[in-house]
Amino acid sequence: MDTPTLSELEAQAVRERPVFGEGAHILCDNLVRIFKTEGVEVVALQGLDLLIEKGELIAMVGASGSGKSTLLNVLSGLDVPTAGVARVAGVDLLSMTAKDRLRYRRETVGFIWQQTARNLIPYLTARENVSLPMRLAGNRAPRSRADELLELLEVSYCADRRPGEMSGGEQQRVAIAVALANSPEVVLADEPTGELDSESSEEVFAALRKANRELGVTAVIVTHDELVSERVDRTIGIRDGRTSSETLRRTSEDGGTVAREYAVLDRVGRLQLPRDFMSSLNMERRVRLELEHDHIGVWPEGSNDEPSEDGR
Amino acid sequence: MWEAGACGGRLHAEEAAVSVFTLVRAHRGASAVLAALVFSAALLVSAVPRAMQAAYDDALHRSMAEASVSQTDLLVTVPSNAMHLARQEDFTERSARWQRLLPAELAAVADRGPASRAHAGAKTYDTPVGGRVGPGYRNHQYVNVAWLSGADRRVRYVEGTPPGPPGTLTVPGRPEFREIPRVDLALTREAARKLDTPVGTVLLLGNSDTIAARITGLFEPVDPADGFWLHNSDVLNVVAERIPGGDGDETHATGLTHAGSLSVLKGYERDLSYFWVLPVRQSAVTARNARSLIGAVADYKGVIAGDRTDADSPAGRTGVTPPYTARTGLDTVLSDHLRRQSSAEALLLLILGGLAGVALGVIALAVQLLTGRARPALGLMRARGGSLRQVVAAGVWPVVLVAAPSALLGFAAAALVPGAATPVVYAGPPAIVAAAAGFAAVRIAVEHRRPLRDGRTDVVARRPSPRRVTLEVIVVVLALAGAYLLRARGLTTGVSEQGTDPYLMLVPVALTVACALVTLRLYPYPLRLIARLATRGRGAVPFLGLTLTARAGVQSALPVLILLPALTVSVFAAVVSGGLDATQRDAAWQRAGADARVESAVEIPQAAIERVRKVPGVRAVVPASRGRVQIGGGGRYGTALAVDLAAYRSALAGTPLAVPGPPADVPAPQVPALVSPDLAGNERLQIGWQTRITLVPRGTVVALPALGRELRDTVVVPLDANERAGSRTVVNMLIVQGAGLDAERLRAALALPSPPTVTTFDAELAEITAIPLVGAIRTTLLVVTAALGCYALAAVSVALVIGGAERGTALSYLRTLGLSERQARAVTVLEVAPVIVLPSLAGLLLGLSLPALLGPGIDLSVYTGEVAVGGYPLDLVTPTLLAAGLTVVAVLGAFTHAAVTRRRSLGSVLRVGD
Repeated sequence: MDTPTLSELEAQAVRERPVFGEGAHILCDNLVRIFKTEGVEVVALQGLDLLIEKGELIAMVGASGSGKSTLLNVLSGLDVPTAGVARVAGVDLLSMTAKDRLRYRRETVGFIWQQTARNLIPYLTARENVSLPMRLAGNRAPRSRADELLELLEVSYCADRRPGEMSGGEQQRVAIAVALANSPEVVLADEPTGELDSESSEEVFAALRKANRELGVTAVIVTHDELVSERVDRTIGIRDGRTSSETLRRTSEDGGTVAREYAVLDRVGRLQLPRDFMSSLNMERRVRLELEHDHIGVWPEGSNDEPSEDGR
Repeated sequence: MWEAGACGGRLHAEEAAVSVFTLVRAHRGASAVLAALVFSAALLVSAVPRAMQAAYDDALHRSMAEASVSQTDLLVTVPSNAMHLARQEDFTERSARWQRLLPAELAAVADRGPASRAHAGAKTYDTPVGGRVGPGYRNHQYVNVAWLSGADRRVRYVEGTPPGPPGTLTVPGRPEFREIPRVDLALTREAARKLDTPVGTVLLLGNSDTIAARITGLFEPVDPADGFWLHNSDVLNVVAERIPGGDGDETHATGLTHAGSLSVLKGYERDLSYFWVLPVRQSAVTARNARSLIGAVADYKGVIAGDRTDADSPAGRTGVTPPYTARTGLDTVLSDHLRRQSSAEALLLLILGGLAGVALGVIALAVQLLTGRARPALGLMRARGGSLRQVVAAGVWPVVLVAAPSALLGFAAAALVPGAATPVVYAGPPAIVAAAAGFAAVRIAVEHRRPLRDGRTDVVARRPSPRRVTLEVIVVVLALAGAYLLRARGLTTGVSEQGTDPYLMLVPVALTVACALVTLRLYPYPLRLIARLATRGRGAVPFLGLTLTARAGVQSALPVLILLPALTVSVFAAVVSGGLDATQRDAAWQRAGADARVESAVEIPQAAIERVRKVPGVRAVVPASRGRVQIGGGGRYGTALAVDLAAYRSALAGTPLAVPGPPADVPAPQVPALVSPDLAGNERLQIGWQTRITLVPRGTVVALPALGRELRDTVVVPLDANERAGSRTVVNMLIVQGAGLDAERLRAALALPSPPTVTTFDAELAEITAIPLVGAIRTTLLVVTAALGCYALAAVSVALVIGGAERGTALSYLRTLGLSERQARAVTVLEVAPVIVLPSLAGLLLGLSLPALLGPGIDLSVYTGEVAVGGYPLDLVTPTLLAAGLTVVAVLGAFTHAAVTRRRSLGSVLRVGD
């Protein structure tokens, strides 16, 4: 095996680091969303960066108020960001006209909310609920497509039931069918299992994963549910309106799952240190950085000790 | 309309309809409320104008019936000195021409049927009887010769034979009457008797160019009630008139002659005129075509006057245009009626406009309820890729689906109300549906313009935009300026002359809107003050309730905007109704002058007065003498009333009437007197009554019951005035105090040779209240007041239901903090009550002040016997009861609502939503 030359390595490095977000299915770059209500400004997204590849199934976690739902609203085309870049399946979410936005919601995304009851129109049957987005988009033959989707999500027996006659898990699976009705490229789910027991959660997650695998839909799931967040390949943590960490999982050679958590470094080099790290070392306001040959050491302000070799 | 259906541009209508039905079924409660409101509004909007129209028509027919057909038919006349029509065909031909010339409006009401009283005729006027062939000549007899087309069908000969063709006659012994023309005449039996002209008599008619008239027969009318005879009453009736400046009577009669006599009768010798009667079907004249008929009559008069067809006809004198004249009283009757109607219209339109506005407001509330209920579904549709058009359509169709059949039903139900349909009747229900759909569309479009599902409008109250404030200020200023102008102008402009003034219609509306806007803007301020005080108190309930109201946003605006006009219009209606009532009574008192008043042409003897005193119900009788007197020495005449004013005054106890006290006495033979203002200032006044009386004016009298409100040339003297001056007192008037007085009984008790005029208050009041349209106005006012009450209640209920879920959730949270059910109820009532009470108060005030503001603009004098409805007695009882009742009921509604919602379990309420 040839040892690559330095120039080859350099070339490779340049090749593997394309323009930020190029080729990503979902791209957010320095995304900002500010809510203004009479003198009060709430910055819900404070320069968020996010890259998701096509066909990925990722989970998004974060404390309440961290900006997850705002991000999801932006991605679903229901809300317009204040600044930054947001692109989904090649559509720029900031420069869309109302018409584009409508087409985007009809063709590009589908979504599922937490409250099972709010995903479905209560007086329509499951089949009618699934056909609704197709009808709204003016598609033909919504009935057969609806039946196919219900079949795929294993709730075909619910086709003629109204939401009130279904369990929460069934409702959410029908909701997934609704979200998939117009064959979107991206499915966004806001705590889809938030109101469900673990068994139903399991079914709903399985349905989402099935949709992801079989239909090739990119899926973003906001969740608090460890059952979900621990079973996707990538989990993105959001804190204070920014992506703060990512956990990547891969299957180890012995069949178990290996998870490794990373902090997210943005393009200008900003990095969020986990809060518990900071508090355990009493880090406040300033830290001292030291560049080592293969890592960067971070010391609390006022630690006069010479850094040790391994940075601890 | 939205094509392609509710969901999806290329969707089959059938599928769309299914989901529309589903939506209606899902929100059947709200749909039912909307349906009921639209039904009631459509019913009112089509029924009340129908009823009004029926009342107008009824009133018009009564006016028409009071005028005889001879007044309402058209009459074309021409004096025969302009032309000579010798043949019956000349009349027939012109009859047809006059019919042809009728303007379309008149032609539509003309009576052309076979039984019509249309006819033509020729009549001489005041033709003196110059002598008789044979004995029996009487002086002062006038016998006119008439030919009437169609008369032969309408009379039956009871003696002799019908008149034959004319001939000639030579009067024996009178050489000047050789071969004079002779016509045959038929008279009524009564005329023959009064003229003493039995069959066979030959009269010599005219003092020059004498013709002979032979009485060949006596007739009687087949049907004396036939309208034909109303035009020719002179043929049926003999008139006896006193000879001017002489003794004895003149007798006037008219006889029928043969058509052939037309050639003999010539204008220049006889005062002859030709006429054509074009009858009008009274039943075909309605309140709707009345106005156009007035114009058509004027046109027709012009057309007839300008007709030149006969200028060169052989009948006419060549080159001379015959002065045809069209005459009728139809236009006068109609104008009088329209004057009365326009007053009613102005008032009713005003009130109906208010009702319609309130109804639309409540419907808007119901639409808000329905669209509010459908909001999550519509929001979901919007989020899932529904275009605004699709979402609006999906929200509007159910509204249309609910409103349209209800409106149709209301319209159909209104058809049961008798009365002709005006354009409003047809336009009203669709307009209501359109308004409901339009409101729904605008509301949904605004709400779902952006597809974000969850707004956070609850966090901070929206600050009023400067644009809106400016607009509101403009409305208020315009309304005030309008009211000022209306008052300034209304004083000089009579509604009666100029018809309904659209400006007048706008001002009350603008005032109400302005008042509502001001109330809406200002009511949170006193509430906040109270709420601030409540925070210092210990109880949590007042604090919570009032704070909720004071912070309430725009959703509380609609009930205010509905309650206020509802109260305003109903209070206004109550005040107008009360004012009308009071003025009618006042007018009746003024006319009667006492409980009853007897006026006789002949003297009322003492015995008769005593008999009157014994009539049951009579408590007091004040004799009086009224006469026409010469004032001063010249040709000035006036009225004198001799009465014991003290007794008169006591007889008026318990009535709203008042008379001045008796004048201070002066030594006889002079007589103390009260005089009308125009006679004041004289130290002595001579009047010529039964004898010459010297009056000493001791005061002025401006108004006196039964004599008038603005007296002129009037003196009031003690009863014995004539006695003092040396004559005797002739009582010809009685002022009667009592209860349940009956004119017939009083007349019978008096037993005078010539029946006296008896005026009782009750009869006068009955007559005034029977004026056409008064009943309609009263009923409409009542219906409108009741409807407005119901609407106000509906508005409060719907508003409560709209905010119900939110309030329920808030209260449930509070209950987890330890709020008791009782406290929760109190909070609800406290929250809702100010929103009801404050607009009610504002509405009450505005309603009370509207009559004063509009007073001169709305002229109701035609309903009160020409007494202006002035002042509008501030009868606070009815309106206040109305407002208070409504408020109490509304607050009770809130209480009930609170009591009902409490039944829902805490858990279920808290789980709804989040």
